[in-house]
Amino acid sequence: MIAVQDVHKWFGLLHVLKGIDLEIAQGEVLVLIGASGSGKSTLLRCINGLEKIQHGKIVVDEMDIHKSRTNLNKVRQEIGIVFQSFNLFPHMTVMKNITIGPTKVKRISPQESKEIAVQLLKRIGIPEKADFYPDQLSGGQQQRVAIARALAMKPKVMLFDEPTSALDPEMISEVLDLMRELASEKMTMVVVTHEMGFAREAANRIAFMADGQIAEIAPAEEFFKNPKDERTRRFIEKVLAV
Amino acid sequence: MAEMRVLGSSRLMKLALRALILVVLLALIIFGLYYLLSQSYPFRWNLAFNPKNLDAFNEGLLVTLQVSGLAMIGGALLGLLVALARLSPFAILRDMGMLYVQMLRNIPFLVFILFMYFGVSKVFSAGPTVPVPLLDIEIDSRIFWGVIALSLFEASFISEIFRAGIQAVHKTQIEAARSLGMSYVQSMQHVVLPQAFRMIIPPLTGELIALVKESALLMVISLEELTLTARQLVQQTPLNFEFYAILAAYYLAITLPLSFVSHLLERKLAIGKAR
Repeated sequence: MIAVQDVHKWFGLLHVLKGIDLEIAQGEVLVLIGASGSGKSTLLRCINGLEKIQHGKIVVDEMDIHKSRTNLNKVRQEIGIVFQSFNLFPHMTVMKNITIGPTKVKRISPQESKEIAVQLLKRIGIPEKADFYPDQLSGGQQQRVAIARALAMKPKVMLFDEPTSALDPEMISEVLDLMRELASEKMTMVVVTHEMGFAREAANRIAFMADGQIAEIAPAEEFFKNPKDERTRRFIEKVLAV
Repeated sequence: MAEMRVLGSSRLMKLALRALILVVLLALIIFGLYYLLSQSYPFRWNLAFNPKNLDAFNEGLLVTLQVSGLAMIGGALLGLLVALARLSPFAILRDMGMLYVQMLRNIPFLVFILFMYFGVSKVFSAGPTVPVPLLDIEIDSRIFWGVIALSLFEASFISEIFRAGIQAVHKTQIEAARSLGMSYVQSMQHVVLPQAFRMIIPPLTGELIALVKESALLMVISLEELTLTARQLVQQTPLNFEFYAILAAYYLAITLPLSFVSHLLERKLAIGKAR
């Protein structure tokens, strides 16, 4: 579903991605972990073209993301992304936040979009908040709306950029539960997170990034039990000690 | 609950007291000045408020409103275009936008209106009227060039307000919009501009009020708006104080409601935004 081939990226003189190779199968959940500054968020943002790459190739569902002839607006309809800070549209109600994509981008009729939104709101457990503004919701609710907004486009891939890092501890599980549900429905997902519990349960594979490279990639169980790379070992020791 | 009500009413009392003090002070100043002046200057308000004079003022008001209204629309539209040009990914558009703003902002409006009316307009046509292509009407060339000059000039200020507003919308909002597959234009239209507009209402109204006040300078191209009307009345009957006081009141009657509407809009549109 996603193929990343020898991707390099520089921010000015800073070499942030140093030759990334990655294959993600349809229905697979890949969790990206690593210290901050290791390039995991940048890699995620390269996958939907929010960041440009200077070398290499990223193909999602047979579309070459960074080829100049690719219509990024079209590609992005198939790739949902959820940000750390939600980034809901503060001037729109929850309903409008979810329907704006389908109506304006996919040109689906307002009634149909609304039906999609009502279904999604039911699914994320807050059907009564449709006419609220994002500011009137808790952080966990906002993030679930952000996930619903992305799902309303019926994407083939979902990217999550530290979706629970800005949340109060008691709200983290409601977002993770929703993500687990998505994973069990065989959504293709790439998740940058520090939630090791989630990684262990929901991920098919875990990739550990260090210094702009993938230091280790392995099935979840093996990754925790039997890490091969020295840096992975130290990282796991640190996060599991907490 | 009871405590809060007491607090609320005491605040209201304070506000009323402040308003009262202000009114009394203003009345004292006005009547004091008025008394001093009346020792040496015979006020003749009854002459000034002659219906014929007021008719003249009202006609001037109509012209001022027409010209200002049209220039507001022109200036806001052009200002938005210039702002978008200055924020565009194309260097040539950014440079052209910057050149426009720097040139227009840095010459006096009086000079600009003289240049436009006596300079530029003569290059196009010297007639007393200007034909409007699509509407099939002819309009007074003083009104036409007055509106053009005012629009062009104000657009340079308004564009800076728009630019600041657009830049104040967080970059992550554009990222979120683009990530849904919206085009640049769509994300501007649905996400950035609606949020920017809320933020720029106060400075934008300030600029629109400045525009109304600047329209007074259009008297130099003998456009019979409010100010020129007052000048002509003074020349007919030397009621200087009376006529100019009335003139000032007319301007306040336009500009004060504008700031009031801005205040209302700001409060109405603030719903849903961070409080």
